Amino acid sequence: MQRTVTVASRVGLHARPAAVFVKAASAASLPVTIAKEGKDPVSARSILAVLGLDVRGGEDVVLEAEGDGADEILERLADLLTEDLEG
Amino acid sequence: MVAPVGGRAIALAEVPDAVFAQHMVGPGAAIDPVRGPGVVVSPVSGILVKLKPHAFVVTAEDGRGVLVHLGIDTVNLDGGGFVLLAEEGRVVPAGAPVIRWNPAAVEAAGLSPVCPVIALDADRAAAEALAGSVALGPVRAGDRLFTWA
Repeated sequence: MQRTVTVASRVGLHARPAAVFVKAASAASLPVTIAKEGKDPVSARSILAVLGLDVRGGEDVVLEAEGDGADEILERLADLLTEDLEG
Repeated sequence: MVAPVGGRAIALAEVPDAVFAQHMVGPGAAIDPVRGPGVVVSPVSGILVKLKPHAFVVTAEDGRGVLVHLGIDTVNLDGGGFVLLAEEGRVVPAGAPVIRWNPAAVEAAGLSPVCPVIALDADRAAAEALAGSVALGPVRAGDRLFTWA
């Protein structure tokens, strides 16, 4: 199951917003990946991997998870990315 | 892990930013830098996988990554006052120059120049060992800062 979401944080997924996102993904009961559109997905539980994506504010990312509850997990993580985590 | 800048090594809890202070980015230490023009060096030998004016990530040969963040909220300076001395994607030895900056100018802009140095994706046991290894107090760039075993 995939979900595409636009990252709201003006500065993108840099240190602080990335940390908040990775913490939420790590707490999820299923592994989640995150990718820039058309690029290879990386583990959403790795702060190193997420920082490495270098996602800018306003860019789209694709979240993916498979299994029971994937829908809710992706919904929650997508909501997080559409908030301004700098706020 | 060596200190990327000179100044005073402090616990992450003293960083004036909740996300860093609560170890949400990861365990590590921070440096309250000497005010004045200075050069930031790589804390470890590895590949400079990400290089921004205000922050960089180096991954060591074993794949472990370290984030150096120059000041708090400095992304908002849009690179002003930072000069890149290295190139993203290149190998850098520990102690090699990466960025030139001026913590006094960051402070004059109303921001904290405190530099978190963070072990990325460290597990709980590694984080605990690391926390006990931080060399707090006066530090020069290139001095041992903490050990990530």
